Order: sequence, then C-alpha cells, then structure tokens
Amino acid sequence: MTRLHPGRIATLLTALVALFLLMPLIAVVPVSFTSRRYLSLPDGKYSLRHYQALWEDPEWLGSFLTSLQVGAIASLLAVALAAAFCIGIWMLRPRFSGLMTGFVLLPMVAPPVVSSLTLYFFLKKLTEWNSLIAYDSLGGVILAHMVMIVPYAVVVVMVSLSQLDRRMDLAAQSMGASVPTRVFGVILPNIRFGLLGAFFLCFLLSWDEIGVTLFVTSVETITLPRRMWMGLRDNVDPSIAALSVLLILVVTVLVVLRAAILMRREKQAR
Amino acid sequence: MRAYLFLICPVLLFLGGSYLLPFLGIMQLSFTDPEPGLGQYSHVLTDPLTLSVIWRTLRICVIVTAVSVAAAYVITLLWVRGRPLVRSLTELCIMIPFWISVLSRAFGWMSMLSNRGLLNSWLKDLGLIETSLQMTRNEFAVIIGMSHYLIPFAVFPLATAMRNVDERVLTAADGMGASRLRIFWQVFLPMTASGVIGATLLVFVFSVGFFVTPALLGGGQSVLIAELIYLWIFQIPQWGMAAAMSVILMLAVGGILVLLMRRYGEMAK
Amino acid sequence: MKSEAIVVNTTQIEARSVGKKYGKFHALRDISLEIAEGEFLSLLGPSGSGKTTFLTLLGGYEDTTSGHLFLEGQDMTGWTANQRGFGMVFQGYALFPHLTVAENIAFPLKVQKRSKAQIAERVAQMVEMVGLAGHENKKPKALSGGQQQRVALARALAYEPKVLLLDEPFSALDKNLRGQMQEELRRLHRELGTTFVFVTHDQEEALALSSRIAIFNHGELQQVGTPDEVYERPANRFTAEFLGDINILTLDGPAGIAGTPIQLPGNASGLGHLAVRPEHMRLAAEGDANQLPVRLRDKVYLGSKSRLLLETRGGEELMLYLDNGAGLVAPQTGAEIRVAWDVQDSFAV
Repeated sequence: MTRLHPGRIATLLTALVALFLLMPLIAVVPVSFTSRRYLSLPDGKYSLRHYQALWEDPEWLGSFLTSLQVGAIASLLAVALAAAFCIGIWMLRPRFSGLMTGFVLLPMVAPPVVSSLTLYFFLKKLTEWNSLIAYDSLGGVILAHMVMIVPYAVVVVMVSLSQLDRRMDLAAQSMGASVPTRVFGVILPNIRFGLLGAFFLCFLLSWDEIGVTLFVTSVETITLPRRMWMGLRDNVDPSIAALSVLLILVVTVLVVLRAAILMRREKQAR
Repeated sequence: MRAYLFLICPVLLFLGGSYLLPFLGIMQLSFTDPEPGLGQYSHVLTDPLTLSVIWRTLRICVIVTAVSVAAAYVITLLWVRGRPLVRSLTELCIMIPFWISVLSRAFGWMSMLSNRGLLNSWLKDLGLIETSLQMTRNEFAVIIGMSHYLIPFAVFPLATAMRNVDERVLTAADGMGASRLRIFWQVFLPMTASGVIGATLLVFVFSVGFFVTPALLGGGQSVLIAELIYLWIFQIPQWGMAAAMSVILMLAVGGILVLLMRRYGEMAK
Repeated sequence: MKSEAIVVNTTQIEARSVGKKYGKFHALRDISLEIAEGEFLSLLGPSGSGKTTFLTLLGGYEDTTSGHLFLEGQDMTGWTANQRGFGMVFQGYALFPHLTVAENIAFPLKVQKRSKAQIAERVAQMVEMVGLAGHENKKPKALSGGQQQRVALARALAYEPKVLLLDEPFSALDKNLRGQMQEELRRLHRELGTTFVFVTHDQEEALALSSRIAIFNHGELQQVGTPDEVYERPANRFTAEFLGDINILTLDGPAGIAGTPIQLPGNASGLGHLAVRPEHMRLAAEGDANQLPVRLRDKVYLGSKSRLLLETRGGEELMLYLDNGAGLVAPQTGAEIRVAWDVQDSFAV
C-alpha cells in the first residue's frame, strides 16, 4: 500500500512556514556581532563586545544566578507538591478527583495576565506581613513561579502514573506495606523518569517565565528574562542579541540531539 | 486515610491560598474599587478608549488565530505525512522555536523588522526601497510576532487529528480515482476538522490574554487588553478597572474552554 | 458467636451471605462458603461470574456490600488487606520492576522489619524453593514469563502468610509452561500446607489442582465440592454443562426419551432432563438395560479413540467416544444403532 505523501504545493508552503519560523532566530545572529552600542547590523566590523559584556557585566551574571536559583527551587517544590497530589489521587481515587485536578490545572489555562495580576495582588498583601515571601523578593518570585508551573508538573506526573500497573501497588499493600513504604519504595522509584521530566519542564518554564515575573518584581530581584525585558523595553541593548544567540544555540543543540537519539533508537528497534 | 490527606492537601492549600483566594480578592476589588457597585464594569464596557482596545484585541486575535492555524496546518501536514527525512526536518522547525524563550523570539523579530534590521537592509540592497519601511511598533509587527509564537501550539492538536486519520480511507479515495486536490478537500480536511477547531480555540484563548510579544513589538502603539491591564496597574493605577477587565477576560476564556471541552467530550463519545 | 470460639474447627475462612454491588449491578450475591485450613480451593467460572470479585473481597482489596467474612472465627469483614495479611499472586504478576528478584522477594520481609540476616536466609530459601538459583540479581524484565511467575509465588510466600490468594496466575503462560507451573504449584502446596485459594477459568486446571472447587456463575455460587463430586454429581445444569462434555436429553412423559422407556436415576422427580457424560455411554450390547436408538451422524477419528456424533429420534445430539484399541468396528455414517449407559452414571438436571 503506497502512502499518499503531501504534494509539491504543500511542500512549498511548508518551506515558507519553516522559513517564517526560523527567520527571527537567524536574524539575531548578525546583530549580536555588531560593534555598535545600539541594535544594528554589523557593517563590515564584527565584534564580540556584546558577548564579552554578558560575561563581565555583574548584572547579567547576577540575573543568570537568580534565574538558576528560582528555577531550581521553584521546580523542586512544584514537582514535590505535584507528585504528592498525583500519587494521593492515584492511590485513593477519591470523589471529586476530577474537580480537584481541574482546580490544580487552573493557572495553566487562565489568561497569563490574570494570573499575573492575581499573584501581584497576593504578594503585595504578603509584603505587609513579611519580607521573605514578598513583592520583588526571591521568595516571592519562587512562589509565583511555583503557582504557574505546578499544573505542568501535575500533567507530566499524572501521565507517568497512568502507565503504572495498579496491581503492583496492591501487591505491596497485600504484603503489609504502609503508605510511606508504598510511596517511597514502590511508586516513586517507578515514576522516576516522569519526575525527572517534570522537573526539567518546570525548570525550563521558570527559566523563560516573564509574564508573571514582570508583575511581581521591580528592581531587587531580576531574573534573566526580566533583565532581557528591561534591555528590550528601554533602549535595545545588543547584549540581548548575544544572549539570545547563546540560548538559541543551547536549545537547538538539545532538540537536534534528542531527535538524533530518537532516530537511532528507532533504527535499533527495527 | 490521614496519610492520603498529607499527599493531596498540600497543593490544594497552596493554590487555594496563593491563587484562588487572591483571585477572589481581585473579584471583590472589581466591585468595590474605587466605588462599590458595577461602575467599573460599565466603564470598561462603555469607555471608548477601552472599547477600542477590546476591539483591537479581538481583531488582532482573530487574524493571528487564522494565520497560525493555517500555517500550522501546512507544516503539520508534512510533519505527520511527509517522507521520513522531511518529517525530521519539519520537526526541528517546529520544536526549536517552540523551546526558545518568547523574549528571544520577539527580539528576533525586532532585529528582523526594525529600521536598521535585516529585512530593510535586504530590501535596500535589492534596490526595492530607498528609505526604511516602518515595520515595528505597529499591528503588523504584533500579528507577525504573535503568530510566530502560537504556530507550534496549533501544531499539536492538528497533529493528533491527522494521526487519527485512517490511512485506508485515503487509499480507498485514491483507488476510486479521486484527484489529490479532491482527496484533500473532500476527505482529509473534513476528517481533521476536529483538530482545526481544537487548534483554533486553543490559539485564540492563548492570544487573548497574551502580553509580552504585543507589548514589545507593538511598542506602546497598539495596546491590547493584557497590556492595558498592566498599564492600569503600573502606569495609571486604577485597580478596580484592571480587576474588572481581568474578571471579564477570565469569564470569556472560561467560556471558550467549556466549549472546547464539550466539543472534545462529544468526540470522545 | 460465643459457641464458635470454643468449637475446635478446621474452618479457616468463612463467608456468610457475602454480596457485592457496583451501583445497581450485583457482582456477587449471597455467597456462603467455608474454606478449611490447608486446602486448595479453586474458584471456577466463566469471565464475569464473580470469582475474581470474591477473591478481591477475601483479600480485603474491596469492601463487601453485604454479609460477613470470618477468619478463624473472628469477623474480618472490615479489615484492610494489610490486616488480613494474606499473600496474593496477581494476574500479570505485579512484580516491582525496579527491584531485582532477591529484592522483590525481600520486600515483604523488609516491611515486617526482619533482621538482615533473617531476610537473606529466607530469600535464599525461597529462591531455592522456586528454582530460581542464579537469577537473584536479575530484574524482572530479564526473566521469562514462567520465571516471573516463580518470583511472584516466592514473593507472596516469603513471609509465610496463612492464606495464599492466586488470581489466574497462569493465564499468560503457554500450554507447556502452564502444565509445568501447575506441577510446581501442587508441590508447593504439599510442602507448605498453606491454604491456597485459586481463581481460574480453566476447568482442567481446577480439576487437576484443587482439593475442592467452587463454581460461580452470574455472581452466584453454583456448587462447592471435590473435583469428582462436581464433575460426576453436578448440582445443576450450569455446572453439568460448564465442566467437561455432557449429553443432555429431554425426558418426555414419566420415563422415556423420544418414546423409548428409560431407567431414571433417583433424583429425577420434577426435573426434565437426563444427563450422561460421553465417557459413560457406549454402543449397546445384548442385555444392556438402558438402550436408546440413535442414528450415527458423523464420526471423527482422534487417534486413540473416535468421537461419534449421534442423533436421537427426537432430534437431540449426543456424543460418545469409541476406544480404537478395543477392536470394535465403528458403524457407518447414517447407520441406525443403539447406545447404552448404566443408570448410576446418569443424573437428572
């Protein structure tokens, strides 16, 4: 049976769409090598000064570290909360589990600007009570990011749990295993890849998060996207081009690597 | 039983306290700030400036949705049904932009479209234009940037629908002598209609509350609802208005989502 | 209740009018059954008959909706699986994929907080017992189906539960392996003396393994008895037809089939059908008391024997086996012949 492959017109249109998707990523590259201080194309003179600036400027480095911290802590906590929730639902299958899951997924489907406003309002109120988890503080950003990434962690962990054999847990139960033993000895080890995937996704989301961060930070706690935003908003700083090139490079390498690994696995499977 | 509560409750308490409760606070604000009553809502829905923002948002979102879904349909077609090499290449074209930060992507378009950007310099080199075309800080740039962001999101529901198309139906149509164009219009497209509807609603929902790309590429010249809310908080503080607008946005998006779920619920039956 | 505590009784588990409803659906109705200590009881029935439901109720994995369960005279109806402490072998084995064979077997022992030395000793003993020496450090994935089955058995038996529940443990194995594992299970039962409750839909398996068989259908218990009791003296038509092959003939009038007078067994009053297993039927010889004229419709050569398909004058089908080594010549297809059986081998249903 021959498979009908898309024809020439479809291929041509796809090429156009692909060009459209890749164009801005390519456009960043020459800009990053400009020798000027403002957004421009290098006219004959190429310079690495903007890459150097990224490295030397304590502000960029500071933001890099802030983003790293926020991402790691928020993801860790979000995955822990999500894993506990999903395992509880999976083990107990309580009434209203659909409703509870829907509630937990809310921040994912609500318009980001509404979530941003809500979290801004919340952190402003908290600021009246403490300075640890407050507006424009590290704790505040971590909390805001957690709210936004918990739903994604829940989705990934749920998928991972749905592939788990329920009888395995029943077996542990029949042998007298307590709830902690079932959770730590049986369930968690078997969804470890799901947890790792959830953490990875959460970290990426937090690393890139700007919508909410914009609302809950100002001058004290500046994540990498927040600093990029500042550089883009006011006078466009070509350092952002250099940073973007680096980020695009990392993503491209990871995506291509993953595709290559998958392709190799497929070939081996055959 | 107590052990289970320890598992399920923390996240519910966490989100209840830091998301649901403050949102209720926002709702309360929308009815009380600065004056008790429905004044904020009536203002939002009658003030000509606000209305023009709402209209612009709807117009841009409709265009963006149409562009994104159409472009996504084309590229998904090759991703799902192309030859192996084409499939891998299109997958990279979808996945690489998808994982790149929204800021880098918006910045990419700025470098592309700005007065000293790549596109203008190419056009000048080709001798097509004398002076730079103004392509940023306007709706055009917003539409380009938002579509670029949303295409990968439209791809996923479309890919699901296309993978579910029974190959034998197409072979049968081919065997009956139908032309490729006819097979596409009268067989393939109707069979993937559910994916198109899903992608359309999804992209529209995403676009309506979208903030970053329009704020950057619109350059303050073409303000959308989300940016208006931002301005109402940080530039000209009017909490009640921002709250009312948020509630309206939440309701609208909630409505569309219910529609979406009912649609998929029916299909599951 | 008081008297039960005094009476010395080998009954280990007792179900008293146990029922289970899912919404409006009766999965089990009014099951009363006693299980003796050390017996091998099979729960047999077609799929959806309630046998697996009964096992999950026994194990405490689901709650009964009515009736009571007793363990050694104590009401265990509300106990969790954990409190009952029965071993269970699940369909599909439910081994822990992240643990090795030895760790799987050690799991229940660790739960019981036994000492390291004790655990190591017990694991070695169990591995030896189920014939898996040398595989201790493999993960379940690296094992064959039969080996995984052995691990599941070893794991469930490691902590010496009083009762072992088995849910269709051999359903995933091919026929040869199945026979081998059945042997193994019989041996384990003999050696350990643990009470086994075994769910299966395979009647041969049930007949071969069990000390008693409980037959389920439509959520109701049809009959409980030793294999030969349920086979030779089925309590009702369902049991008769479910186990093995059987000829069922409609009785007309007080004592006849299709106009031919017949001797009836003692239980015939009020029942309309006579049942005779094919192996108890033979071609009639001179002097046989119970003779029925039939027509030979077809014969199928099966090697050591032949199967004859017959039809009574009333149009009902019969079957019997003819031993090919006995020197009897099978009649030609279409021939009018007579079959006979001894009245004590027949029963009314």
